[in-house]
Amino acid sequence: MNCREARQHWNLYHDSEGDAELHFRISEHLAVCLECAEWFRLQSRFEGLLSEKLAATKSESAVWHAALAAAGLGKPTPRPRRLWMAGVTATAMAALLLLLWLNLFRPVPSGLDLAEVSANWHEWLQSGETPLEFTSNSDQEVESYLKGRVPFPVRCPPRKDAGFAVRGAGVSDVEGRPAAYLNGMVGNVPVSILVIPRDSLSAFPVQHAALRQHGIMHAPAGAYAMVLREFDQNVIVVVGRTDPGSLERVVNAYGSYPDHD
Amino acid sequence: MRLLEPLQGALAGYCRRSLHDRNAIADVLQSAVANSYCDFHLYAEGTNFRAWMFQYVHFEIQNANRKHERTSHFDLPVELSVEDVWELALAEPLFTTLIQAPDQVLDRCDQELASAVLELPPLERAVILLRSIGEFKYREMSDILHVPIGTVMSCLARARIRLRQKLTQHGYASGWLKQEERQA
Repeated sequence: MNCREARQHWNLYHDSEGDAELHFRISEHLAVCLECAEWFRLQSRFEGLLSEKLAATKSESAVWHAALAAAGLGKPTPRPRRLWMAGVTATAMAALLLLLWLNLFRPVPSGLDLAEVSANWHEWLQSGETPLEFTSNSDQEVESYLKGRVPFPVRCPPRKDAGFAVRGAGVSDVEGRPAAYLNGMVGNVPVSILVIPRDSLSAFPVQHAALRQHGIMHAPAGAYAMVLREFDQNVIVVVGRTDPGSLERVVNAYGSYPDHD
Repeated sequence: MRLLEPLQGALAGYCRRSLHDRNAIADVLQSAVANSYCDFHLYAEGTNFRAWMFQYVHFEIQNANRKHERTSHFDLPVELSVEDVWELALAEPLFTTLIQAPDQVLDRCDQELASAVLELPPLERAVILLRSIGEFKYREMSDILHVPIGTVMSCLARARIRLRQKLTQHGYASGWLKQEERQA
């Protein structure tokens, strides 16, 4: 494949579409052509930023409240009562001031640690305390199983070329938000991949801040290593008792395969 | 309702970016929810609920936008293949500046981006928003929009080019992208 051909197919490569053969040929070209590799990186970065901007959500709860009520599926919107609202606002302000004052004398809580949550989840899977919901060695079957079971997009699991052999998958929740998980082996070591919506990351301030700054993060959790990165609107966490380099290879492979549809 | 709740932000965002009349968001969502609720017996458990729901919202958006969208968009060569369209755009040196310093423009163009999206032809707008907001694959978008997958591909490539054109123009007009960068 030459530079022109590779660049012509950037859309397919960026969107993880097209056939596996095309992706393989482009990847091969990018491995030897630094100019194209940089070009692909810049194009993907721009589209990533643009997509992020287009997808940025505002709070639309009032709109939904009205829409659901009008469709007969929610409670009617309460009519505004100004005096009542003023009283509630004043009470809320007082409570807020009190909380702020109390917090001045307390250490700031560090928040939940995603590394710990993922390591615990991985351990439960390994010990059998949480059985694998769906068992299969086929990435295609695993991908189909997860699609439609979580309200966010899931991609094909990393394959053997990234050193990951899938064993199964399931659906769970992390801090009350839906999550998908994949389980498999890297060499002889069991490794789990947790896929959560990006907005769930706000519950984990440490990882949230680090990912915003660096895009990828390594974090040890007890005997486990963990690597996480953002992909589209999701956060991908890979955890296992192996070297972080292998985990990074797996996390980078997530989402890089074309769809099976 | 349990299935709908996690999608509320994305569906409302899709409406907000797609509708010419911002005041119609609640009406569109209401009709889409009411219709999908009536048809819920047609939904097969375990299949793609996101795509199913976006289909209803897209249909209502089309209805709501109908009176605003009578103009044609012929500024890109429609007879070219997706690869050719993309290649044509790559020959445009002005894009390079935008791609190399996207923050210069993207950080300051909320309003312009919103207008640029609304100015896209309806199908191109739908495809780029379904991809960005819904993260749908080409096959899913083809099902939602009832168009062939090839049309999805070419619309997405064209929409990307058009948005780059608009943002580049806006970047230079506002002085955020510099003249010397333009010449380089």
